[in-house]
Order: sequence, then structure tokens, then C-alpha cells
Amino acid sequence: MKLALQLAYRNLVGAGLRTWLNVGVLTFAFLMIIFLNGILDGWNHQAKTDTIAWEYGNGHLLNEKYDPYDPFSIQDGHGILSEENKENLSPILLQQGSIYPEGRMVSILLKGIEVNQKTLKIPTTNFKENASAIPAIIGVNMATSTNLKIGDQVLLRWRDKNGMFDAKNIIIVDVFKTNVPTVDHGQVWIPITHLWEMTGLENHATYFVANEKFKPKAIKQWNYVSQKELLHDLDEIISMKKSSSSILYLLLLAIALLAVFDTQVLSIFRRQKEIGTYVALGMTRSQVVGLFTIEGTMYSLFATVIGCIIGVPLFWYLSKTGMAFPTSSQDMGIAMADRIYPVYGISLILGTVALVVISATIVSFLPARKIAKLNPVEALKGKIQ
Amino acid sequence: MIRFLWKGILRDRSRSFLPIIIISIGVALTVLLSAYMQGAMTDMVDQNARFETGHMKVMTKAFAANQSQLPNDLALLEVSDLLQQLEKDFPMVDWVKRIRFGGLIDVPDQEGNTRGQGPAIGMAFDLLNPQSEEVKRLQIEKSIVSGHLPKTVKEALVGHDFAEKLNLKIGEEITYFGTTMNGSMTFQNFKISGTIRFGAAALDRGAMVVDIQAAQKMLDMQDGAGELLGFLKTGVYHHEQAAKISQAFNDKYKNDPDEFAPEMYPLKAQNNLADLLDYADMMAGILVFIFVLAMSVVLWNTGLLGGLRRYKEFGIRLALGESKPHIYWMLILEAVIIGFIGSIFGTIIGLAGAYYMQIYGIDISDYTKNSTMLMPSVIRAKITPIIFFIGFIPGVLAMVLGTMLSGIGIYKRETARLFNELI
Amino acid sequence: MKYILLLFTSLVLSWAFVTPPNAEEILKKVDLNMVTKTKIITSQMVVSGRRSTRTIVSKSYAEGNGKSFTEYLAPDREKGTKMLKLEDRLWIYSPSSDRIVQLSGHMLRQSVMGSDLSYEDMMEDRTLAEIYDAKVVGEEMLKDRKVWVLELNAIVNDVSYAKRKMWVDQTRFVPLKEELYAKSGQLLKQVTLSEVTQIGNRWYPKKMNFKDMLMSGNGTDFIVDEIQFDPKIPAHFFTKAALKK
Repeated sequence: MKLALQLAYRNLVGAGLRTWLNVGVLTFAFLMIIFLNGILDGWNHQAKTDTIAWEYGNGHLLNEKYDPYDPFSIQDGHGILSEENKENLSPILLQQGSIYPEGRMVSILLKGIEVNQKTLKIPTTNFKENASAIPAIIGVNMATSTNLKIGDQVLLRWRDKNGMFDAKNIIIVDVFKTNVPTVDHGQVWIPITHLWEMTGLENHATYFVANEKFKPKAIKQWNYVSQKELLHDLDEIISMKKSSSSILYLLLLAIALLAVFDTQVLSIFRRQKEIGTYVALGMTRSQVVGLFTIEGTMYSLFATVIGCIIGVPLFWYLSKTGMAFPTSSQDMGIAMADRIYPVYGISLILGTVALVVISATIVSFLPARKIAKLNPVEALKGKIQ
Repeated sequence: MIRFLWKGILRDRSRSFLPIIIISIGVALTVLLSAYMQGAMTDMVDQNARFETGHMKVMTKAFAANQSQLPNDLALLEVSDLLQQLEKDFPMVDWVKRIRFGGLIDVPDQEGNTRGQGPAIGMAFDLLNPQSEEVKRLQIEKSIVSGHLPKTVKEALVGHDFAEKLNLKIGEEITYFGTTMNGSMTFQNFKISGTIRFGAAALDRGAMVVDIQAAQKMLDMQDGAGELLGFLKTGVYHHEQAAKISQAFNDKYKNDPDEFAPEMYPLKAQNNLADLLDYADMMAGILVFIFVLAMSVVLWNTGLLGGLRRYKEFGIRLALGESKPHIYWMLILEAVIIGFIGSIFGTIIGLAGAYYMQIYGIDISDYTKNSTMLMPSVIRAKITPIIFFIGFIPGVLAMVLGTMLSGIGIYKRETARLFNELI
Repeated sequence: MKYILLLFTSLVLSWAFVTPPNAEEILKKVDLNMVTKTKIITSQMVVSGRRSTRTIVSKSYAEGNGKSFTEYLAPDREKGTKMLKLEDRLWIYSPSSDRIVQLSGHMLRQSVMGSDLSYEDMMEDRTLAEIYDAKVVGEEMLKDRKVWVLELNAIVNDVSYAKRKMWVDQTRFVPLKEELYAKSGQLLKQVTLSEVTQIGNRWYPKKMNFKDMLMSGNGTDFIVDEIQFDPKIPAHFFTKAALKK
């Protein structure tokens, strides 16, 4: 075995350019697989981190009467959480309302949020008090669909806790750009203190967003939904996307293996004399097959080494600086970022290495089997069979 | 001269057979992968197309302005005439009617009183018409958790979670309560034919899928539809074509002041999809480029190896008195021929595969836990014009380049040395 | 004769010299015209949409403000649909589905038959005097009629409109116009009443127009074709069983 390895190594290094070409192709495929996987993982990771940063936080504590999927439950689905339970929680109060841009009615979801909250990325620090109107911030998408800009005022109509109508102008103090459409579409964010005052629902919240320090515990009339549960839908989409991208890896791998296969076929064809010599020197045929297989496999080992030399600094750099993408849509229901930070998991790298090495071995072995059928005498003569 | 090369290629299998096979495989892979990338990158867009935007969508101008509110009062009317016209003008497009509607689903108890209620997210598709592609297009059947598709206008599919929450059984009756396009109250009983899962919680709770005729009747939209969706018969979105069709259609109504005149919107102009589409195109472009590059290296390698192993032959030929440039050019010409043959074969094979993947797709729903309507579970390739020649880049260029490089050796080495390699 | 003349003069004089009467009295007089223990109304509701105008004919039986039963007579689409309101609950029966559906919460805030009225607007069962504090804020001419302008401010919390303004005919004590305001003072809806006719000893506006002032459109017309004051309505009308009959 050791001899086979040594021989294989010498043969490969001795072959010079040819070897390095093959190794180059394999390295390339190897790096590509990791790179693409990293981008996709990074993209998925981004979607998750963005959704967490903008919407989910470390989980939601929902009023038991509030059902996020039933808009009818907004009316009654809120309550007061006792002071001792409020630690590490940031309240959000939902109310329905209508705004009237350009004389048409647009139903909206009013979201009251604490001005000094730090759990979510909603730019609440930009709330500037205004004498005549309620300060409000909206997402880019909402701004586009309602044709509102920073500084614009629009009439908002809502009802207080008793159902009494009230109407006042809101002034758009900030338009934020987010990759999470579920905090943007059809929503108007205002300071929760204003919403409390407007509706008479002092200290009420529809749900609370937990920060990292939050420890879930059973609280009467409130249900805790963990971050993981909230991310369930997103996870499903991601797993779906992953299986569809696996085809890509298979095809990439196929190219690299094609290169190895090509070389193997040629080298066995070309090195018949050598094979004859090995057999004449007393190696069994299976030993020779082994030798050639190891040679083929060694391409992948070289590729791994070179891949690491190139890949480690490159990928490390990319995962730090991210890769810029042009402005992307956020209308799709899942988050997409302008800049993707690839994520490289250790399992991804090891898995890819194993995949490349194993498949390279198989591909090297297939043409090498032919050796077993060679007539050593003919082979020694170099006669083509 | 070429004939001589042909003979060489045909007779010396080692010179031709293997490289051609390798190039064919490589080119086929390139073509397939490129088509696949074009398809995979746009699968989200396709998903949008199937559900919401079509490749083109016709709405009234007023409907378009308030689309998010499902303003069925502003829907298209006299749709049959419009459809006929559309089919005549644009035979390359498959046109379908869609209605989306809101309202309440009310579940009765034994006495017929309200037992449970929930908001309804209604969707009406052309389900019963046997010529309709809608069931296939929307992968409805795969998303059905229990039961079957509605077989009559009196049946409906409801969201699986809603059915579970209210403990609804297949065959039970529910009542849809909502407003017609005129604003009247409307009630319609439906028998639950099955439950469906979309993969989005809101829809799994409130979805209600009925046949288009049922919706038209219950919403007073006789011969009306909220939207007409057009799907290019190739199955794949091509923006230029869709834009052209839309333009041609809209030109006819350019001077129509009626706010209920129809207007066509290509996919790219809807739901902010332009960005996503450009993004997908760019992503696909990058990946195809990378792939072509990788394939080029492989085939360059093939060309190089092919040249290297023939040094002894060159030696003989030089000894026989051929000039070095002549051998070199012959070699390159040969590479061009081999490259072309391989690329043509490869492109044909790759295109066949891509075509299959465009029409039938690869169904990966078996590999994922829950197949749902909102997630594309069939991967489709997309044949774009570039697919037809992309394979020639690695197939011919790379091959020739590799051969040129290895052929330089002919000049470098002495005739004697080349000849020597014969032994 | 002399007495009669004297009486007449004194009446006229007293009329002319009355300082603006107390708003409560005006409202009471309005109630005398408008409110009955029971009533049966056949009416048309004209809803003007962006595309078409629909006329919905219905017959309503009401007892006080708390109970009402409405049957829709036309158009065909609506025919046979019945609506029962008992205090704060509302049921709708549809003949086509033979179902009784209860509307609650959020649904009550939806528009009725596409009109500018919500179910909730129809559900208010307290008299104005019970929920508003009224005061006379002026006198005006409105459509050639002398009117008192009343301002009503809510004294309870659970009303839709914090403030109303009402223009009441000075001689007939029928409101001719009403404006409904949000808490902040923003005008939300306007009701215009016209075709005031004498029915028995009451004056009654046979046409009302409801308009949502925040939206464009012509609003909804409500036209009374026939009205009976204080008829006897059997109790079974106000039961769910009546819906299915």
C-alpha cells in the first residue's frame, strides 16, 4: 500500500503539467461546490437572521386571544402583562385602521412599538415628535404602494377601545428598507405610547418580542412561541431550496470527474508498457489496478490540499465582507438581502471533500479495471489492444 | 485535406472517439446545467407566475390600481369575448380566468347555526374544464392532504389547518359568506371535497379553492373574472415576448378613457418582480459562466492530452518530411472538427435533456417532507437562445485552445526527439 | 272665535319670542317625530357603486331600537334574505344556502350591501339623548327652512362618533342634515335628510343620503316607500325561527 502511494505520488508529480491540470479542474469544482453551497446557505441564513432581526426576535409572547393568522382577532387579542413578567420583552400593539391617500381608502395594520426598543431593527429611534400629526414610519414597499414619502401627511382613521372613531393625520418621519415583507406590507408603525393614547389601551400589547436574555416561562393568558417555531415556514422553504440546488452540485462534480476519467483512460492507454513492466516485476494485476486507482484518487487529495490553500483565505474573506448583489425584490414573502455573507459549515466542507474523494476513487477505478484484462506480454510490448 | 483529416478521425478511434465522447458529455452537461440554472434561478418567479401574475395578466385599469384589496367590483366583464380575442391575437399564449375573493367561511352545527367561523382566502381556478391546465400548473393535486379535487361546482377544497381546527370531515358542508362584485351579500354552501396545504400558515388556515364557475355565480360575476392570466405555451417566461404581447394588446386600448378597459401587464411589471428577475438572470449568468469556465478547463485538458500523446506520431510525420507548421495547423483543424462534432452531439443531447426538464421537470417532491402548493417541487430547465451555442465555448474553443497549447511542443522539440518518442 | 284668535296670536307670539329652546327639548321633539315603539318600513336603498347603481328593497319590522327584523324583497339576488337583530347580536339568513349565519365582532364593521352604512351603524339601539349631550349652537337657513344647529357630544364612551352636528327644522322638528365626527373633530360621515312629509301627526324625512366623507362617491340613498308607526308586531318576528320562515 505504501509502495502504491509512493509510486502514485511520484507518477503524478512526474507527469507535471498534466497532473496539475487535472488537479486544477478538481480543485475548481471542489471550490465551486463549497462556494455555491456557502452562498445558498448564506442566503438562507440571511433570510433567517433578517426575519429574526426585523420581526421574530428571540420569540413572541402572544396574548392568548390573538391569532396571528386571524385578522379578526386583533380587535380583542391584547392585554396587559404584569410588570414582573415584562423583563426582556418589548411590547407591540396591533390595531386596525384606514388611511386615505389620494382619496382612496387603504386598510392598514397599525403597529405600536416602543421608541427606545432595541430588540427589533425597526428604526424606532427615528420617531420625531410632531405637533400636528402622529409620527409614523413605514417600509419602502408600503411607501411605494401608497405613494407616500418622508414628510408626507395622510389622514388616518381608527377606533378607540370602545369602538369610537377617531381620525388624525400621520406624518411619515422615516421610510425603512427591509428584506422582511411581513413588517412592511400594509403596515404603519407608530410609537406605542401614541397608540395607547389614541385607543385608550394604556399598557396593552398584542404581543411581546423577546430578546436573547428572555427565559420563557408559563404566563397566564399569554402564549410563548419560540423563535424556532416562528421560523418553521421559512425552514421549510429553505429545505426545499436545498434539495433543488443539489442537482447543481452533482453536475459540477460530474465535470470534475469527467476530467479525472478522461485522464485515467488516457493514461492507461498510454502507459501500457509501464503496466506490463509492473506485472513483469511481479505485481499482481489487482495491485496494478490499485496503483492506478490510487493515482486517480490522489488527484482529489491534491485538489483538497490546494483547495484548502486557496479556499480558506478566500472564503474567510468572502464570509467577512459578503458579496454584493443588486437591489433585490422583497415582494416574494421571504427575505432577500442586497449583500450575502456566505456561510461555510464544517459539515459542508468535510462532506464535499468526502464526496469529491470518494467519487474520484470510483471514477479512477472504473477505467483501471481494464488493466486486469491486459495481457502482460502484449502490454509490455506496448501493443494497443 | 479535410477528407484526409476525416479519415484520420474516423479510423483512429483513440484520436477521435474518446475526445468526441468526452466533449459530447461535457457539452451536454454544460447545456443542461445552463438550462437548469436559468430555470432554477427563476423558480420563485415561476411560482409567482403560476399563482399571481401569470406570464402576462389582464385586469381592468381600476382593478390594477387597487389590486391588493381584491376589488372584485372592478373586475373584468364580458370575459368570453375578451378571451376569444386574446386567443385569436396571441395563439402562443394559454389564457385562464382567475378570481380571488375574501369573506368568511362559516361552519354550521346540526341545527344549521354557526359552529365556527374563519376568514376566507378564496381562490377560484378553472378546475372542472377538462381542457384546463390549471390543476397541473398549480400542482393542486400534490398539495391535497386528504380528499380530492372538487368534481362539481358545489365542492370546495379548504385549508388543512382550518379543517383540523374545526374538526371538519370530507363531505361536510360549509357556507361561504361574502360580498358579490356589486356589494350584495352572498351565501354559498360547499361540500368539502378535500383539504389542502399551501405551506404558508395564513393560507393553510383560510384557503378555499373552488371552481371558477362557482365563484362567478356566487359573486355575481357572470362572464367576469378578476384577472386573466396568460401563460406562454413554451411554459417558460420570456420577458421580451411577454412585453411585446402586452404592448400590442395595450395599444388597442390606448385611447380608451374607460377605467374598466382591460390592460395587460407582463410578469416583470408586476409585484416588483423586475428586480428579482434581473437578480435571477444575473445569478444564472454567473453560474453558467463559472460552469462554462470549468468545462473549458476540462476540455482544454482533453485537447492538451490528445496532443501530448501524439508526439510520436508527429515525430514520424516530421521524419516523413511534413513541415512543422503544417502539422500544427492540421492538428488544430482536426481539433476544430472534433470539437464541432462533439459540441453538436453534446448540444443535441443536452437540449433534449433540457427540453425534457422544461416540459416535465424533475419532481423532487418525494425528497421533501411536505409538498405544498407554494413551494416549487418540480425543477424545470429553461431553454433560452443562449443555450444553443453556449456548449460550443468549452466544446470547440477550449478544445482547440488545449490542442494549440500542446501543439506548441511540436515547435519546441527537435524532430529527432519527437521521433524518439516512438520507441 | 276671539279666544281662538287670542290663542293663535299668543301662540305665534310665543313662537317668535322663544329664545333658542333647550336642545334636549328639540331632541325630544325630534324623537316624537322619528321614534316609535314599533314600526314597519318598506324602503329602498340606492347604492351607487363605481360601475352601477343598485336598488335594494326591504321591509323592516322594528321594536324600539333593540329589535329589528328585515326581509329583503328585491332585487332577485337579495330576495328572501332576512336579517335579525336582537340587541347586539345579528343573524343573517340566506334562502339559497338555507343557513343562518351569525355576524360578530369585526364583521359588524363591514359595509351593508356595499352601502356607506355599516352593520354597526344600524345596530345602535340607544336614543340620541341617551348617548349625547346636546346644545344649540346656532340658527341657520337650510334649503329654505329655518333650522336649529345642534351640537351633540357623546356622554358615553361606546359610540362610534364622538360628536355629531345636527340641523333640525325649527317648525317640523325633523333633522335635515347630520354630520358625524371623529373624536379629533374630523368629519367622517354626512347624512342628508329630505322629502319631509307629514304622516299622521308626524313629520318624517322619506329620503336620507349617507355619505362617507373620506371617500369619493355619491353615498347611499335610503328612501322610505311606506311606513307604519306603532303597528302591532307579533313577538315571533323577533326570534331566530322567523328567519327560516
